[in-house]
Amino acid sequence: MPKINNLDEAAEAVLDAQQQKHRLELRGLGTKTGIGNQPVYDACLDVSAMQGIVDYQPEELVLTVRAGTTLSAVEAALDKANQMLAFEPADLSALLKSKSTGTIGGVLATNLSGPRRLTAGAARDFLLGFDAVSGRGERFKSGGRVMKNVTGYDLSKLICGSYGTLAVIDEVTIKTLPRPETSLSLLFESDDMASAVALIAGIFASPHEPGAAAILPQPVAAAAGIDLAADFVVVIRLEGIALSVDDRAGHLRGMGGTGGTVETVPQALSETLWRRIRDVDLLADHAGDIWKLSCPPASAPQIIAAIEPHFDMAFYADWAGGLLWLAGPSGADFGNALRAALTLHGGGHAQLMCDRGNSKQLIPALQPLPPAQASLSKRVKAAFDPLGVLNFGRMHDGI
Amino acid sequence: MQMPEPDQQIMARRDAICAALRQLVPAASVVSSAEGRRAYDADGLSAYRQLPLAVVLPETVEQIAAVMKYCHAEGIKVVPRGAGTSLSGGALPLADAVLLGLGKFNRILDIDYANRCVVAQPGVTNLAITHAVQDQGFYYAPDPSSQIACSVGGNVAENSGGVHCLKYGLTTNNLLGIELVTIEGEILRLGGKHLDAGDYDLMGVMTGSEGLLGIVSEVTLRILQKPATQRALLVGFDDTAAAATAVGDVIGAGIIPAGMEMMDGLAINAAEDFVHAGYPRDAAALIIVELDGPAVEVDALIERVAKIMDRAGASSLKVSTSEEERNLFWAGRKSAFPAVGRISPDYLCMDGTIPRRRLPDMMVLMATLSQKYGLRVANVFHAGDGNLHPLILFDANQPGELARAEDFGADILRGCVEMGGVLTGEHGVGVEKRDLMTIQFTEDDMKQQQRLKCAFDANHLLNPGKVFPHLHRCAELGRLHVHKGKMPFPDLPRF
Repeated sequence: MPKINNLDEAAEAVLDAQQQKHRLELRGLGTKTGIGNQPVYDACLDVSAMQGIVDYQPEELVLTVRAGTTLSAVEAALDKANQMLAFEPADLSALLKSKSTGTIGGVLATNLSGPRRLTAGAARDFLLGFDAVSGRGERFKSGGRVMKNVTGYDLSKLICGSYGTLAVIDEVTIKTLPRPETSLSLLFESDDMASAVALIAGIFASPHEPGAAAILPQPVAAAAGIDLAADFVVVIRLEGIALSVDDRAGHLRGMGGTGGTVETVPQALSETLWRRIRDVDLLADHAGDIWKLSCPPASAPQIIAAIEPHFDMAFYADWAGGLLWLAGPSGADFGNALRAALTLHGGGHAQLMCDRGNSKQLIPALQPLPPAQASLSKRVKAAFDPLGVLNFGRMHDGI
Repeated sequence: MQMPEPDQQIMARRDAICAALRQLVPAASVVSSAEGRRAYDADGLSAYRQLPLAVVLPETVEQIAAVMKYCHAEGIKVVPRGAGTSLSGGALPLADAVLLGLGKFNRILDIDYANRCVVAQPGVTNLAITHAVQDQGFYYAPDPSSQIACSVGGNVAENSGGVHCLKYGLTTNNLLGIELVTIEGEILRLGGKHLDAGDYDLMGVMTGSEGLLGIVSEVTLRILQKPATQRALLVGFDDTAAAATAVGDVIGAGIIPAGMEMMDGLAINAAEDFVHAGYPRDAAALIIVELDGPAVEVDALIERVAKIMDRAGASSLKVSTSEEERNLFWAGRKSAFPAVGRISPDYLCMDGTIPRRRLPDMMVLMATLSQKYGLRVANVFHAGDGNLHPLILFDANQPGELARAEDFGADILRGCVEMGGVLTGEHGVGVEKRDLMTIQFTEDDMKQQQRLKCAFDANHLLNPGKVFPHLHRCAELGRLHVHKGKMPFPDLPRF
């Protein structure tokens, strides 16, 4: 597999591919090749050699790093300065049966964000600028190395979540944030999804600054080691300085409603629990496909009610209900039912994240776009990659 | 400022175009008289004025789509306008373009507490969103200084920030969904009440696109619960470099204040003369730090910040003990622009961003430039994120002073880019900084941006003459390089 070391070599590789009428699959450490659709390609281009931290200024909250750098190397560097990637990227290696957490470029390309996405934003909210080679084989840059910048189009947003279909990226500048000094979680018992979502809405309508909110049905809660009898457990994470976290926890404990137990999970256990929620560890043992569904938080109960009677499935919710992780039967029926339920209940996006059968041959991994948006997206693809050299078909038909 | 040469054939058809537009929207929604159009001849960058070909004020999204379809079919340019508060000339009319005003889109459509968002039409003002939800303790976080007047649609077009964006983000970080009308008159919905989707982030790229990609006809905004407490510190320094270091020390200590503002000596004194906020007149730099959140947290962090400021060499330090006092601290900063307006007949407001650690170098550069051009400069900064607002003082009645002030401003922005920063932090490029884009971007960088424009608007009909100094035809931009003497895919049709 040809391996590139810099953008000049990337440009050469892309131009050569154009010449030979080849399509390329961009590959970092290959840990996320299962996400998205199967691209059409003739050759792989290994981008994992573009590694290293270029510049890191903790007081500026800005990190410039080459896209092939491993996520663990990035996190280790931030950790030393008591900082973090606030969007909390997941480690899906157990779920996807891959060897590592992959590269920072892969995280950005798939716009993967974890539980803190609800209050801090997604990967796309933290990419400030980048250098790249387009599918035209031309170098370009966008954005900058400062936090506040509206000079020209915000191509960083476009690059995040573009699955390598627009450009080969090298240096990326990311906004970092201080790591919270302490954290803990509160567990609330709930009788059903609707009351769980309503409880969370109440908590978010208080000034006590919840940072993350998940809903675990009893079997999933039990798998996470939570010993509560209720049908649903609401997990609320609080972060900040100790004084503040304790104060807010005190206020929130009173919001549990009708006499259900409220438990406090101390920091170390809380961190493990949220890591498992983030990494979809809690469904990894399920034999079926894993779907990720992004919906209006208040619609989650209706969506689950519409699906659950018809399938052998397991699920839990993050993002206050706005993110549903579901394990269900392989094939097209489950995904089609999810997408139909979404359409009826406020819209959103259902994505097949882990195909354990041959479901991707039966149903697109990313939700198909309405026609007008599909044609605009194709024109955007063509603006960067007119010949379809890069990861062709990874996102959608022809994109 | 050179604008694209107006199309005389379009201008000659003005009456017919107005008549056609009156078939698409209520007759009263087309403004054709000179005096009627004059109300729209400039935005917040009032040095530039131009009467538009016609003004059309649609009332429904279908009417916007119909106007766009017509203009697209007839090859007529369209300049979108929200509340007209842009500081960079983003809504400056063109002589041969229809000005499409969104002022009639002034309704809030849905307040959804369960999903913590508000759906609004684009002409609703920024502050009206907060007003609509504050009885439940919610607010809309981005707070540009023009928030009483600026529209949320304009906020999307400019990706507006505000003094609190260090902690709460810009418009792009608080926007969940938009409805978009393309130049072809197609209506698209991007995003919604959910957080993530699996398409290109077209909403993200629409945000801050300065009206060049489409018309925003509806927005869905995230609302947040108001912090329980807000308190501020007012800190004076004898030395700007020490003040800049102190700002970095606060963030380095893991504290993200809700806002962190800085003013220099000239701005301090102008503000103090104007509002008597109790600012230290002899300080070289003044920092306002605001912390928000639960009371116990705010109290603890105020103490930490005070210690950091002290160690950094603060010459004076006050902590607000009441809402009244906090508002007084802010009163001087918030009136800095009009205060400077009192000490000079005219001023130019610049808007660059630098890596914060370069602030002392920037102060030296500005002092040098001030001498070179013989003009004074007052400085207010969003210090937390390195966003500068130098105010260059001049007198437009003195021959040559405006040009000198503009050259001074351009040199400051050049300095921003040389120090690793950017031309504009929050005001947008518009026409104001259009010709400076070449300082920050190579020709290839800008061509790639314009290819994106071509994907949305292949004929350059939407807001042309803004943002990019050179307009390239889309067909030219689409051509591929000849690599090693051969065209790739020579048998492929090209269009």
